Amino acid sequence: MSRNSDENYGALWLLTPTVLLYVATFFVPIIMLGVLSFARFEMSVTTIGFYFDNYIKIFSDGITLKIFFQTVRLSLVITFWCLILGYPVALMMRSCSPKMKMVLLFCVVSPLLTSIIVRNVAWLLILGRSGIINDTLIQWGLTSKPLPLMYNEFGVILAVVHVYLSFMVLPLFGALNSINSSIEEAASSLGAPSWRVFLSITLPLSLPGIMAGCTLVFILSMGVYLTPVIMGGNFVLTLPMLITESVREQYDWPFASAMALMLLLAIGFMVILSSGVQKLVGRR
Amino acid sequence: MSSQEHYGSRLPYKFLIGVVTLVIFFLEAPLIILVIQSFTAESYLSFPPPSYGIRWYKEVLTSEDWLNSISLSLTIAAIVTPLSLVLGTMAAFALDRGPKKLKNGLQTIMIAPMVLPHIVLGLGLFKMALQLDIDDSMLAYIPAHLTITIPFVVISVGASLQTFEQSLEEAARSLGANRFWAVWYITLPIIRPALIAGGIFSFIISFDEFIITFFLTTFQRTLPIEMFSTLMYQVKPSIAAVSTLTLAVTAFLTAMLILRGQVTSGDKVIK
Repeated sequence: MSRNSDENYGALWLLTPTVLLYVATFFVPIIMLGVLSFARFEMSVTTIGFYFDNYIKIFSDGITLKIFFQTVRLSLVITFWCLILGYPVALMMRSCSPKMKMVLLFCVVSPLLTSIIVRNVAWLLILGRSGIINDTLIQWGLTSKPLPLMYNEFGVILAVVHVYLSFMVLPLFGALNSINSSIEEAASSLGAPSWRVFLSITLPLSLPGIMAGCTLVFILSMGVYLTPVIMGGNFVLTLPMLITESVREQYDWPFASAMALMLLLAIGFMVILSSGVQKLVGRR
Repeated sequence: MSSQEHYGSRLPYKFLIGVVTLVIFFLEAPLIILVIQSFTAESYLSFPPPSYGIRWYKEVLTSEDWLNSISLSLTIAAIVTPLSLVLGTMAAFALDRGPKKLKNGLQTIMIAPMVLPHIVLGLGLFKMALQLDIDDSMLAYIPAHLTITIPFVVISVGASLQTFEQSLEEAARSLGANRFWAVWYITLPIIRPALIAGGIFSFIISFDEFIITFFLTTFQRTLPIEMFSTLMYQVKPSIAAVSTLTLAVTAFLTAMLILRGQVTSGDKVIK
């Protein structure tokens, strides 16, 4: 490393190990999935080529497309609830005392670092057939049969919202924090009631955070595997479950790859859509 | 920003406090209940437990299956964390000191694995591992975990380098230190909080990783996989005990992170 070499470009050699790693663990594998998705799978034999069998199968087998749209719908519902529950927390973090902010920050950040499976176990113990809620209800004689609180969409949505809520709060807090509060003070000193200040100033100005948080949570929810399996049993099927099953049980790599690419496509579409919305709003 | 006297009347603020309290309750209560239940002395889970004891912790810490999976997970995380720190920090330096016009493009590439759903990444890595015949081994787990942990180091160290005063490093060099020692003695100690944050994130992400490892393993079991297979079979108090042990470690690390004043998540740095 000579000191007189072009300082700018000389620093780039530091990227080499990571780039080499990514080529082997990220770029080549994704290309392989792309190639495989056009392969043909017959009698457990994979033939590489340029066939559209798998994509045709996705649209015509009657179940895959349905599960895909179910995954999209669940992800949208999860994103919606994260926004509804996360926005008040971000708003509070912005306006409370520094000490309180620390406490809230801990509550918001700690789930990010808490094992997902641990949190699913926690819900299992609460919502399960002999979980706390059902135990208590039966003990008090309020119900004779356990309520179906999990192994359905309700359980899945609740547990995934619990896992991803933090990913919504942090971008929201970032956006809210960058709003100059004197604008709001000006509006309220001119007599605007607080709901009006919120609706016409705070909310629109925090839109970049809303979009960022929603996009992030949507992407994460589209790919989540563990929580729906634990909380949904086999009663709530999602695309990631289908992908895993077709590889691990049927060894149908081409079909699994096609579904994986479809998942990526849906996510890419969402990212483009949200950046489009942000540009549109920014121009206003 | 910190004044209680925010805009508007007090009523909406009280409503806000109520809603936030409920959300925090929703976030934390399940975990607290889990911890309490793990100390049951009975052979089944109930809340509140009729009697307390550490019976299930003893069971976990003497069971070969649990100990094997815990040690496999710890070994992987212990190898991944330093490697991820070194590679990620090198990459962050390259982005910070390299040509400005390439920075955005290169940064996108460096954090790209973060936006890819792990299910897709895991599928690709599984195919790759099968091709190279390294599935079910460390040779597959370590690179796989590095791919998802490095972006977090790049982001946390990168954010810290942005605010670092480079003239300090130049001063050391003008006094005769070569570039490596200038970085070693001046830059790295100053950005230490970011390095700690990156290390903690790497450790926890690797320790908690499920779906990618799930694809890559056949016989070996990391802790999350062992927990998953136990869960699918039966919900015993031992699972609550293991969960609590994991929780204790992560809560400790999280507290350390926040008290150090460096919390990095996604591309937001909150100081």
